[in-house]
Amino acid sequence: MQESIRNPEFAAKLALAFGELLDGIRPALQRVSMRMVGEGRQAALELRNTQTHEVQHWPLRKMRLVPDQARNDALVIAPGDGEAARLVVRDRDAALAIVQAVPKMPNLGRNARAWPAIIGLGMAAAACLAGILFVLIPHMANRGAAHIPVEAEIEFGQSAYTQFTSAMGARECVDPIGEAAVVRMTARVTQGVDLYVPLDVHVVDHPMINAFALPGGQVVLHSALIEAAHSPEEVAAVLAHEIGHVYHRHSTSAAMRDMATFGVVGLVFGDYLGTSIMGAVANMAISSSHSRDAELAADEFAHHQLEEAGLPPSALGDMFHRMQENGLGQDLGFMQHLSTHPEMADRIAHAEAASTGAVFGGPVLTEAEWQAMRNMCN
Amino acid sequence: MSALKTDFAGEKGDLFALALKTGFLTILTFGLYRFWAKTRLRRWYWSAIRPGGLGLEYLGSAHEKIMGFFVAIIVLALYLSVFNLVGLELVLAAANDTIGLQSFGLAALILVGFPLFFMARYRSRRYLLSRTTWLGVRLGMDAGAWGYAWRACLYWALTILSLGLFWPLKTFQLEKYVTNHSWYGTAQFKQHGNPLMLYGLAVPFLACIGGYVYLAYVAIQLPTTEEATLQDLELMGWLSLGAFCLFPVTLLAGAYFRVASIRAMAGLKELGDGMEFDLNPRTRKLLKIRIFGSLITAISLSFVSSVVIGLIAGVMMLLGYELDINFLFNTPPHIAMLAGTITGLLTYVLWGVFWHAFVTFPSTRHIAETLVIDEPMLLQRIRQRQDQSSGRMGILSEALDVGGAF
Repeated sequence: MQESIRNPEFAAKLALAFGELLDGIRPALQRVSMRMVGEGRQAALELRNTQTHEVQHWPLRKMRLVPDQARNDALVIAPGDGEAARLVVRDRDAALAIVQAVPKMPNLGRNARAWPAIIGLGMAAAACLAGILFVLIPHMANRGAAHIPVEAEIEFGQSAYTQFTSAMGARECVDPIGEAAVVRMTARVTQGVDLYVPLDVHVVDHPMINAFALPGGQVVLHSALIEAAHSPEEVAAVLAHEIGHVYHRHSTSAAMRDMATFGVVGLVFGDYLGTSIMGAVANMAISSSHSRDAELAADEFAHHQLEEAGLPPSALGDMFHRMQENGLGQDLGFMQHLSTHPEMADRIAHAEAASTGAVFGGPVLTEAEWQAMRNMCN
Repeated sequence: MSALKTDFAGEKGDLFALALKTGFLTILTFGLYRFWAKTRLRRWYWSAIRPGGLGLEYLGSAHEKIMGFFVAIIVLALYLSVFNLVGLELVLAAANDTIGLQSFGLAALILVGFPLFFMARYRSRRYLLSRTTWLGVRLGMDAGAWGYAWRACLYWALTILSLGLFWPLKTFQLEKYVTNHSWYGTAQFKQHGNPLMLYGLAVPFLACIGGYVYLAYVAIQLPTTEEATLQDLELMGWLSLGAFCLFPVTLLAGAYFRVASIRAMAGLKELGDGMEFDLNPRTRKLLKIRIFGSLITAISLSFVSSVVIGLIAGVMMLLGYELDINFLFNTPPHIAMLAGTITGLLTYVLWGVFWHAFVTFPSTRHIAETLVIDEPMLLQRIRQRQDQSSGRMGILSEALDVGGAF
């Protein structure tokens, strides 16, 4: 570093200047006179106690500025990083002289050597956080979901249904004949299944082709899905899939997982900004990684139940193709994994090949019931 | 040498600028800069507080804060795994599916979090003191987070079981523990006095708590809603009204107790042999700052969304879009989302900035200006405290701002 201390004017100014020294040993101010000595790398600030004439030399290249002072009425300088001594220069001219002598004095506490440790710890922390979010919380949510009291879950599911539908702007379709058809269809696809909770299947008026399951046995079919289906068997396949989610308590554990995820992310990032951004990102990543397994399990269930009920499992695949054709598959939580899981598409293709599409156990609904179901929301 | 008075040397405008700058940097770095922001703001505040005319200095660095944050995540992971995972399995196994036992077990698991909270609080204070110097000499605190944590749990339990009667005892004992573990250089702080002296200050607060206990006592005597007579219902209404009206009074009485107890205990602290202090913050002044500061912050921030929408509309008009009044009432979704995001981020930054300028700054200034240090001659006997922040790895808790991360 090239210091401009060859300026004789500067040396003259400093020779007359005084500062206050805190030696970092005693809590007392010492009055010192300041003088510049040496040149180049040897350049140093000489501090002489005005009473005891004790002398200290502070090398200019090691000197650090104490930053972020509330009031700029004094220059506060440290002899180096990690040093306790301080020089307080209140005299304006002397302070200016020092600033001119060392124009680029680094701030105290700029420690480049700390970065490898920071990055190492950061990676360890990221691994731990990933462990909490992707392993620990899902595991605990699954364990916890299996032990939540059923009454509490039903209550939670009912309020979730009310909130969801009002948030989506959807209206529940009430029509006795249509509802009877839904009940019959539900009974058909749940043959021989022992569910831990009574099912509550709703049809709502909504233009998006979708269906979903909520905690506590709440299953919701959108009117658009029923309209898009070419046969009641296709609706039955979707219904069976959603009941699979209920059977496995997926929504319950997902709700617990979401709450815990937001809790942990909120705790870790601790503020509004971090929580909102990181919460959304983490949740998206976790949901997609876990929903894949959940969707597979629900498909498995649907497959089995459809066979049990004498209905063609290929209807599940038909419904999926229907959505793809309409270009509406992208919004679906249901069967979303098909795009990312080629083996599932294969499985459905196999099912289609194996199945003739015939309804062995008799149609799931009569023509009249099917029409009633289609017109429920009109 | 007479007593040392304390100046507060700093302007609201400068602090506002610093908070604004660091706030925006925090947003631009996705939150990473907040460790630097916190460090810089602390340096600013510390240097503004000038007992005897010479400012404190905050020695903490952003590096140790970010490392403390990472360590805290690792500790959290360990805590969650060990206590929650193992605990949950144990509870599920032991409870044999009895719901009562299960909820009892889960409550016990949550209770395990309390000692950790108190430890974090002690560590955070220890960190702050170890990073503070005055006249070039460090403050510091002895290790003792476990001791603090179990005492805090004990006194809190006593306070809750006694329906608040032991609150002043808790306040005094915890403050005494912390004070007696604190040092300035080679001189140790000592807390004199006894818990009884705080009871006089707590009378209004304890009376309010007593009022709530009485209301609750009357309420549980009432019959259930089905069997209630008209008179019972009327009484219920009065009880609710009483509870509602008592609430702000309780808050005021609580605030008074807090400030007055700090004042009383500060007057009975001793440093080394004979140095004494006076700290005279006024409850009324602090409350006024708090209330008006919150109002100014809230009112200022309420304009953010309109300003953002206005700016976006202005930019779009400059770009040649034709906008009519419908734009405001029927904003296209992507514009609304953009406006929402900008409003959210701006609100986050400006909330911090306004809060610093109108609440933290005036409160700190008021408290600092009331600090007086008696017998400063005795400073001559004090020497630098041994630096415990470097060298030994065992003092991770002091070197890293673990407690402060949360």
